[in-house]
Amino acid sequence: MKEKTIYEHLRDKGLSRRDFMKLCGTIAGMMGLEFSPPVKALGKLAHPTPAEVVARALTTKPKLPIIWLEFQDCAGCSEAISRSSSPSLAKLVLNDIAIEYHETLMAAGSQAEKAKEECMEKYRGKYVLVVEGSPTVADDGIYCVVAGKSNLDLLKEATAGAAAVIATGNCASFGGIPGANPNPTRACGVADLIKDKPVINIPGCPAIPEVTTGTILYFLIMGELPKTDHLLRPLTFYGHTIHDHCLRRPFYEAGKFAESFDDEGARKGYCLYKLGCKGPTTYNACAALKWEQGLSYPVQSGHPCLGCSEPHFWDGGGFYQGQSAALIPPESKTTAVAAGVGVAIGAALAGVNAAKKGRAKKALTSISAVGPGESGAKPISQSESKKEG
Amino acid sequence: MDWSEILRFSRGPLFHLSLIIFIAGMTYRLLRIVLLGWERDRTKRQGSKLWGTILNYLRGLIILPFIPWVRRTFRNNALTFIAGGFFHLSLFVVLAFGAAHILVWQSLCGISWKPLPTPIVDWLAAVGIISLLVLLINRLTHPVLKLLTKLPIWINWTVVFLPFITGYIMTHHLWFRYEVIFSLHMISVCLLLIWIPLGRISHFLFYFFSKTIHGAQAGKRAVTP
Repeated sequence: MKEKTIYEHLRDKGLSRRDFMKLCGTIAGMMGLEFSPPVKALGKLAHPTPAEVVARALTTKPKLPIIWLEFQDCAGCSEAISRSSSPSLAKLVLNDIAIEYHETLMAAGSQAEKAKEECMEKYRGKYVLVVEGSPTVADDGIYCVVAGKSNLDLLKEATAGAAAVIATGNCASFGGIPGANPNPTRACGVADLIKDKPVINIPGCPAIPEVTTGTILYFLIMGELPKTDHLLRPLTFYGHTIHDHCLRRPFYEAGKFAESFDDEGARKGYCLYKLGCKGPTTYNACAALKWEQGLSYPVQSGHPCLGCSEPHFWDGGGFYQGQSAALIPPESKTTAVAAGVGVAIGAALAGVNAAKKGRAKKALTSISAVGPGESGAKPISQSESKKEG
Repeated sequence: MDWSEILRFSRGPLFHLSLIIFIAGMTYRLLRIVLLGWERDRTKRQGSKLWGTILNYLRGLIILPFIPWVRRTFRNNALTFIAGGFFHLSLFVVLAFGAAHILVWQSLCGISWKPLPTPIVDWLAAVGIISLLVLLINRLTHPVLKLLTKLPIWINWTVVFLPFITGYIMTHHLWFRYEVIFSLHMISVCLLLIWIPLGRISHFLFYFFSKTIHGAQAGKRAVTP
């Protein structure tokens, strides 16, 4: 029997055509699809509008199978999606647009394992693998084992039949917190291990739910993963820094900074750069999409950006330390040793110099007893000073 | 190339190493000069050494540079004097009162103070960059200076100019991604730190020695420093 399309599925559930077109518009907006109007003079032909592109895909394609695996993580990304306060959209994506196997939500057991294997078999080559949490490579992956299988085996097995892999959250993308120094389990990003399948990173702690679902939808509708930056993050969502879209940016330009969390500046909404904001180097959509249905995001709520969508954000020298500060400030011991080395070499060379001076003085007095004793030092000190750059 | 890795390296180990080289190098230079030997000043004491020193600083550094006709600024070498003066003022203000730099001082020494408003620091930084360019052009065109200028001087100019220009581009978010220009700024600062003990930029420290000694000598002789 031919598989039902998503549109048919939604109609069965009672969605009207009008609501369907609204949904298509919303999805197109979320995916960041651009529309260029036809301009004859420029040779631009009439393209279908983004909503039409979405509608065409949803009326012709069946649901997208998704297998969601969890490794070393806190399940925060799943939590963010399942409790996202735009429930209609996230729920819609996960229930009505995509078929999902989710280890944690299914309360894993032997039945769940069996369901996953069946799903992998049935949709071989078609499903999208979403990985949450970092794989660990130390000691053949024994530090993260599910149902008796190491995470490396699980990942390999699930990747084999996947059409694409989406790493969601900083852990799956770059190693995240498990990968923080000293990284005992040698946690790494999914893309470090998988080279034969298309991989996309959705970093964040947690990943913004709309970004994860938006990327899944993009794959469903366009049949390929969106364009990415050098860290494999979709450019639509990671093309700008938090700083670029920050609502406190004018205060940064004017040099008005909050000095502490409860001073006058903080109350007036000044820039949080001095409180450790990592906004200028953090690429994410927080400032544009915001969280909780566009209610707010960390910087708006008065907390500096932690830089959670960047690699090694946990090792960035302290969340509340300004971004310009030295990552490794020299300790007094190091400073003392450095100064000691300078003193030792200086003193040694000064000793050699003094000895030379003494010899020169002696030689001078033995040849002719001219001038006061110290004049002998002059030629040497002059030649020394000439050596300066 | 992943610039966030380069940034982490340049803000972390590279800056750390440069600081250590800078500290060791400057201690060495200082000791070396102090131990070169001191000539005994046999002049008869006619005035106060302390007053001479204070006067020398007032004339040379604090008040008189800002009153041009007293120092005859415009009479002899106006361009060098004005561009050089503005450059040094700019360097001091940007380093000591730029908000981002105060965070660096705080991370290094644990103390911080109020920054100047960004627009002021910003304008002065631009003045510093222009002054450096003016001085460069002067050096390239002046017949005598051309003869005097050897490789170390060009290195001096470059290692000072690079942190200035990268810092300016960074604060204005021009052309580069922030982490790229931030890395370049840090790398150029590290170059500067390593070069300082090797070259004449070490005058930032020795200037004060000569100013004090000359002031004291003049004070002892009761003459104008």
